Amino acid sequence: MEAAREIYWNVGHGVILPMYFFAAGAAAVCLYGFARRIRVYGLGGPLDRSSNPFLRLRLAAAWAFAQVKVLRAAFPGIFHAAFFWFFLLLFAGTLLIVAQVDFTLPLFGFSFLKGAFYKGYSLTLDLAGLGAIAALLVFFARRFIARPEGLETSWDDYLVHGLLLLILITGFWIEGARMAATEMKGDVALARFSPVGMAAAGFLASWQEGALLSSHKVLWWSHLLLALGLIALIPFTRLRHLFLVPANYFFASLEPKGALKTLNLSDENAQSFGAGKVKDLTWKDIFDSDACVSCKRCQDECPAYATGKPLSPMQVVHKLKDCAFSGPETDIVAAVTDAALWACTTCGACQETCPAGVEHVGKIIEMRRNMTLMKGEFAGAEGRSAASSLEVNKNPFGLPYAERADWAAGLDVRILAEHAEADIIYFAGCYASFDRRNRIVAQKFIEICNHSGIRVGILGKEEKCCGEPVRKLGNEYLYQELAAENIRALNGYKVSRIVTACPHCRHTLGLHYRDLGLNAEVVHHSVFVNDLLKSGRLKTRAERFDFTYHDSCYLSRYSGTVEEPREVLKAAGGVLAEMRKNKTESFCCGGGGGRVLLEEKEGRKICAERIKMAQATGMPLVVSNCPFCLTMLEDGIKTSNCEEKLQARDLAEIVAERLA
Amino acid sequence: MKILVCVKQVPDMASKFKPNAANVWFDETDLAFRMNEYDEYAVEEAIRLKEQLDSGSADLVVLSIGPSRVVEAVKKALAMGCDRGVHIRDDESYLKDPWQIASLVAAYAKGEHFDIVFTGMQSLDRGSAQVGPTLAEALGYSCVTTVIGFSLEGGVITAKRELEGGAKGVIRLKLPAVITCQLGLNTPRYPTLPNIMKARKKEIAVFEVAELGVENPRTVTERFFAPVKKGCGLVLEGEAAALAGKVVEILKQSTIVLRGQP
Amino acid sequence: MKALLVFEYRRGKLTEANLELLSFASGLGAQRSGVLVGEEALLPAFEGRLYLGDIAKCKEYDPELHAEIVLQATQQENPDYIVFIHSSYGWDLAPRVAAKLKIAQVSEITGLSDGKFEVGCCNGKMRRLVRPGTPKAVLTLQEGAFPFAGKSEGTPEVETLVPAGTGSGLEFAGYEEAEKRGIDLANAEVIVSAGRGVGKKENIPAIAELARRLKGELGASRPVVDAGWVEHYRQVGATGQVVSPKLYVACGISGAMQHLIGMRNSEFIVAVNKDKDAPISEVADVMVIADVMPFVAALTEKLRK
Repeated sequence: MEAAREIYWNVGHGVILPMYFFAAGAAAVCLYGFARRIRVYGLGGPLDRSSNPFLRLRLAAAWAFAQVKVLRAAFPGIFHAAFFWFFLLLFAGTLLIVAQVDFTLPLFGFSFLKGAFYKGYSLTLDLAGLGAIAALLVFFARRFIARPEGLETSWDDYLVHGLLLLILITGFWIEGARMAATEMKGDVALARFSPVGMAAAGFLASWQEGALLSSHKVLWWSHLLLALGLIALIPFTRLRHLFLVPANYFFASLEPKGALKTLNLSDENAQSFGAGKVKDLTWKDIFDSDACVSCKRCQDECPAYATGKPLSPMQVVHKLKDCAFSGPETDIVAAVTDAALWACTTCGACQETCPAGVEHVGKIIEMRRNMTLMKGEFAGAEGRSAASSLEVNKNPFGLPYAERADWAAGLDVRILAEHAEADIIYFAGCYASFDRRNRIVAQKFIEICNHSGIRVGILGKEEKCCGEPVRKLGNEYLYQELAAENIRALNGYKVSRIVTACPHCRHTLGLHYRDLGLNAEVVHHSVFVNDLLKSGRLKTRAERFDFTYHDSCYLSRYSGTVEEPREVLKAAGGVLAEMRKNKTESFCCGGGGGRVLLEEKEGRKICAERIKMAQATGMPLVVSNCPFCLTMLEDGIKTSNCEEKLQARDLAEIVAERLA
Repeated sequence: MKILVCVKQVPDMASKFKPNAANVWFDETDLAFRMNEYDEYAVEEAIRLKEQLDSGSADLVVLSIGPSRVVEAVKKALAMGCDRGVHIRDDESYLKDPWQIASLVAAYAKGEHFDIVFTGMQSLDRGSAQVGPTLAEALGYSCVTTVIGFSLEGGVITAKRELEGGAKGVIRLKLPAVITCQLGLNTPRYPTLPNIMKARKKEIAVFEVAELGVENPRTVTERFFAPVKKGCGLVLEGEAAALAGKVVEILKQSTIVLRGQP
Repeated sequence: MKALLVFEYRRGKLTEANLELLSFASGLGAQRSGVLVGEEALLPAFEGRLYLGDIAKCKEYDPELHAEIVLQATQQENPDYIVFIHSSYGWDLAPRVAAKLKIAQVSEITGLSDGKFEVGCCNGKMRRLVRPGTPKAVLTLQEGAFPFAGKSEGTPEVETLVPAGTGSGLEFAGYEEAEKRGIDLANAEVIVSAGRGVGKKENIPAIAELARRLKGELGASRPVVDAGWVEHYRQVGATGQVVSPKLYVACGISGAMQHLIGMRNSEFIVAVNKDKDAPISEVADVMVIADVMPFVAALTEKLRK
């Protein structure tokens, strides 16, 4: 006889109608549950995240099925991926049965769950089921026994974990009962293709046939109702992520990282700016908060959370969800708290790692916009005085704007207002212009350019702060004023290539300024120097130095510039020992999000934390590529009292010492 | 109630100053300008008073004298919450002395019957501390200067003057009055964006200075210059540790302070 | 030339700065007389006429009545200059007197040059030479700019004046004292003061430690007090404490006039500032051009605990 299984064995075809009836009911409850939630998403404002639908579908499919984002954290990621794939197999197995029983057999008299195919099918599903249980037991152990710090567990988790385990176990129990009554008696060879079922049948070997048959019926119904119950419960429990997360993958942003909405400040009718209430959020923000699976990976990666600040990215998302489900007028800033909001460095590690596709940073910035633009609030008196200094002198230090080009005195650099021809415009930025330590970096970069025959032009007094720190702190108005002035000056010169040693300036001029009328190519100095080396226009001597490298958030995560600085430093003779958190997983120096202008009043210093990581490499030098990073790393070195053992330098300084 | 607040736009004090061609004031090239710090407190207090008085019934005017650039200071005050602005356009306001300035304000204010006038107690650039009381004399109003605390209730002002040593003198006076404000009177608000946008629509009336009539000056500036460094002024530069060593040596020689230190 | 000196009676005492009026008059070579709203039992010591208004009749604070007394004295004396100290009393009263007399006022004079008056401007960074444009003028003197050497002697010839007017309708409702002080800056031998250049509140302990090692007190400039980095009673300046220690170390203080007034009479002044041109360099015996905190750390290192 050909290997096969009698579908509806023992329970009979009479179950079909009630089964589909209950299934329809479960589906209806499930749909109803989601409909209620969709209404809440609708409380948020519009946002186009469906353009380019085919690309979105491809990305969503890849991310979901390959579990790419889940696997970014190897543990417990691999177990979730395993559980997902095993359950997917089990689900596929059920679909095959439906296909045969409801379509191919009645319509075409064709069945395929037989013979070798059936044997492979049964073996696969048995192993999948076993694997699923094994993965699930790891989840149990982690969540209920090991209890990692910061992981929240509620009734939802008990219910879902319990239900899944029960469904899997009853599944095998049913199989065992069926096999004990059929295959074990008639076709043991076939039974070997269902090894787990065979083992289960072994436990039931002593049962009477009558008991086996009746218990099989009970189990069959239990298993069905549990499974349908699970489906009905999806929208009401964490299982909603089964739909929400793949959907969130579809709704991911296709824009360059760090893109922000440029507010229309000439709109006379605009009443409110930033996000202060639930209705100020977009539907995507609310959707994100519901898609969050509370895995706490964002919290684990957050430099603020790691150093005792009152910010947890996960808690921000949770509170937004609570607010959303409380009503459109709920005050979200009060719920999230201003202390938490100001603590963010916008490093992006949270959303880089989030497996559910939640976008944390944009929400924080929108809430900061509300605090700054609608209430005139600041993170501290120093934040306010930096903003005032920017208004008056266009730099946050309060130094006279007329002295902005003093760093270039005596250097071979043209002030564009006097001499408009140059190969590149070097956009120095506030730190390189005024900060004693960072002026050296600017000067060294000019040396490199001079050596390569590149004619460098600077805006000098015409250059103003790019506006990035205050923009990230929420002051969109001041940002647009500064930006407009910079753009007017830059567009006045025919030089179309801008180079800067500051990743914040680079990201702002290269991406954000496009909305306001700048269309130049903006390059970071590490990439520029790398190009010079590759083209042969610049040659360096390779003088060995041992170092570790700190990837700036705005260079690695936001701009994808990871290899170029390393290539440059290697060409200069560098022997690199990577820090544990590097490249796109880099740990923030603490200066982003405008925080370089502010004082760290709570917890430990983020820069000291990063210096610990640098020290762990045993290297005497940490090289970075950003004036904020350089400033913060040196501060961290001082705070940690390791000035004898560790030095912080910029890439430009190292290359300038090795010009050939 | 009609409230007037007088503001002056001054250069940012971190700037380096050079005499102008005529050598009687600073050269404006490369200077960044801002509202006089004392006047910020005056604007804030005026707005608080307006808010206290059930905004609808108070008319708060901000006035400034000077070239076109002072409109920025007027706009800032409007963005903070003043109702309308008055710009007395004068490209040579920097040449005018406090008597002339006070008279110009009085010429404008006489017909307007303000109940109360706020202004900073002095400007950061000229620093004469005269305009407030001189204006009060011209208008026949009461005047209190150096105010570090202010309240108005039932038509009576309670003002606290900051005195030497940090003590305060408590004065009660009736309207109409001129109040000159000291630093720290309040915390000036940062304009919110909706207020900045509303301010764009607020009226700024412009008067040419000649329309109001200019008095003759009572003082004359003969020269504007950088002071000759008087201190026996030993200037030390260099690296921190070396400097510290030098200073310790100097202190040992020049003062009795470090007797007993090795 | 004649100078009418307006003395100040403050809360039961004659202020020390009153002597500077005498010193100024000498510098001008002017014949001096005085006017005072105060009490008969407490008179400044100098030779000359003193017009006295009774503080009981003229009240402790009533600019109209006080101005009236000054005007009566002016009418009788016919001076060329009416001279005040630029104190909270002087800068409040002087412009009213000038306006009533329709004469010039020159404020906060820092020096005399060729018969003309030098005043500060641009927050103390620059100077102006000013000439009154009217035959008579009101002058106010910066405190400490015309120090009086030695002891003042003599008994003035008193003429009593009585105000005819009813006053300004201002009611003086008494004083509110300054915060209780835990320290006495006025008598400290060494003061180390923190200014804005110190950077942030967290750096204050380092300045305090330096003060401790020098066996001194911690002081501060106004911006630091306003920012809440230190207590109010540590403020050194015209409206804080006026001090004259043996050693004053100014850390990150630019030297705005109101601060200089508070400490310029210190015996030895060391100033640390990044800015070579900061006005404090005018009074500093030693000007250290450096970043404040590293220098403070280095100096603290070198001093015994």
